[in-house]
Amino acid sequence: MRLTELPAWPGLEGMFWLLLTLALYRALSWIRARLNETGWAQPLLWGAIIIAVLLVGLDIELARYQLGGDWLIYILALSTVSIGVPIYDNRHVIRAAAFPFLAAMCLGSALAAGSAVMMAGLLDFDAALRATLATKSITSPMAFGVASEIGGLPVLAMGIVIVTGNFGVLVAPKIFDVFGITDPRAQGLALGVVTHGIGTAEAVRRSALIGSFAGLAMGVNGVVTSLILPFAFL
Amino acid sequence: MQIIFGLACLCLSLLAGEVVKDLTQAAIPAPVLAVVILLAALGVYGRVPDGLRLVGEFLLRHMALFFIPVLVGMLALSDMLRVILGPLSLIIFVSTVVPLFVTGWIFQKLAPPFVAPEQEASKDETN
Repeated sequence: MRLTELPAWPGLEGMFWLLLTLALYRALSWIRARLNETGWAQPLLWGAIIIAVLLVGLDIELARYQLGGDWLIYILALSTVSIGVPIYDNRHVIRAAAFPFLAAMCLGSALAAGSAVMMAGLLDFDAALRATLATKSITSPMAFGVASEIGGLPVLAMGIVIVTGNFGVLVAPKIFDVFGITDPRAQGLALGVVTHGIGTAEAVRRSALIGSFAGLAMGVNGVVTSLILPFAFL
Repeated sequence: MQIIFGLACLCLSLLAGEVVKDLTQAAIPAPVLAVVILLAALGVYGRVPDGLRLVGEFLLRHMALFFIPVLVGMLALSDMLRVILGPLSLIIFVSTVVPLFVTGWIFQKLAPPFVAPEQEASKDETN
């Protein structure tokens, strides 16, 4: 065994950051469970903020953190594929409402990407930024690939998707409340289309049914949008 | 062993996704294709294998953890973000709030009224 040839071995430093990320996630999840609310107390948001503040404060290069952090990103792809499981479980419920599902999904997705790109145009953003914003209604592991296909900035695309997801999860309960969207399927669909992976993760926590609609919306929307965008940006 | 099998199912789906992407030269990212392939395979098999359920549900429940390094990676863009932060926030705000409402509302208008299957509906609605 020649361990030295393993790719990106995290080493002491990488392992420290990996462990810190895990510990923060665990601690923040515990705090959230204690507070019994899902709005502001998101482990993802605070975990990333705490680590970013540490890196900037101690003047540590991002690459040092990524020695450990990259290991978690590899698992993200597997995590994305897992969405197939809740979709399959709830296939009957979903099939019963296939038309409204597709209609609402296409409109919501077009509106999310379209309004972002249009506003970016009005605000004089350059072409790369507009292309990046167009991917904002695709789940982030997919947005990364699509952004590079259409001349956007992949890392920014993932970041925007995550920020959108975080913000969306935060405001969604209020929006559903104000506009009287009580159907769990409608909630799941909206969360999946607009807030992607983070919204889906949140939806799964609420119920398997909302989660399956979110997962399906995110998956189908990801495929459809990924198919259309490269042509729209030719 | 079950966990190994579950992981293998996911990796196999990803592998198949990569192969399809290579063969078709599609601009669709491989994980997207992998979900479609996994669904087709489950449809043929007829049920979710225990190991896949175990691993899949774990990965989904803790997806937020795997996103943390991605969000931290935004640090690399801090110079650019400082310039566009204001307008970008506005764009994200509008293009998140409006579609959330519209998507949910349209579905609710078009879909037949929801009848709760089994025990599903009683979970907490507080969040």
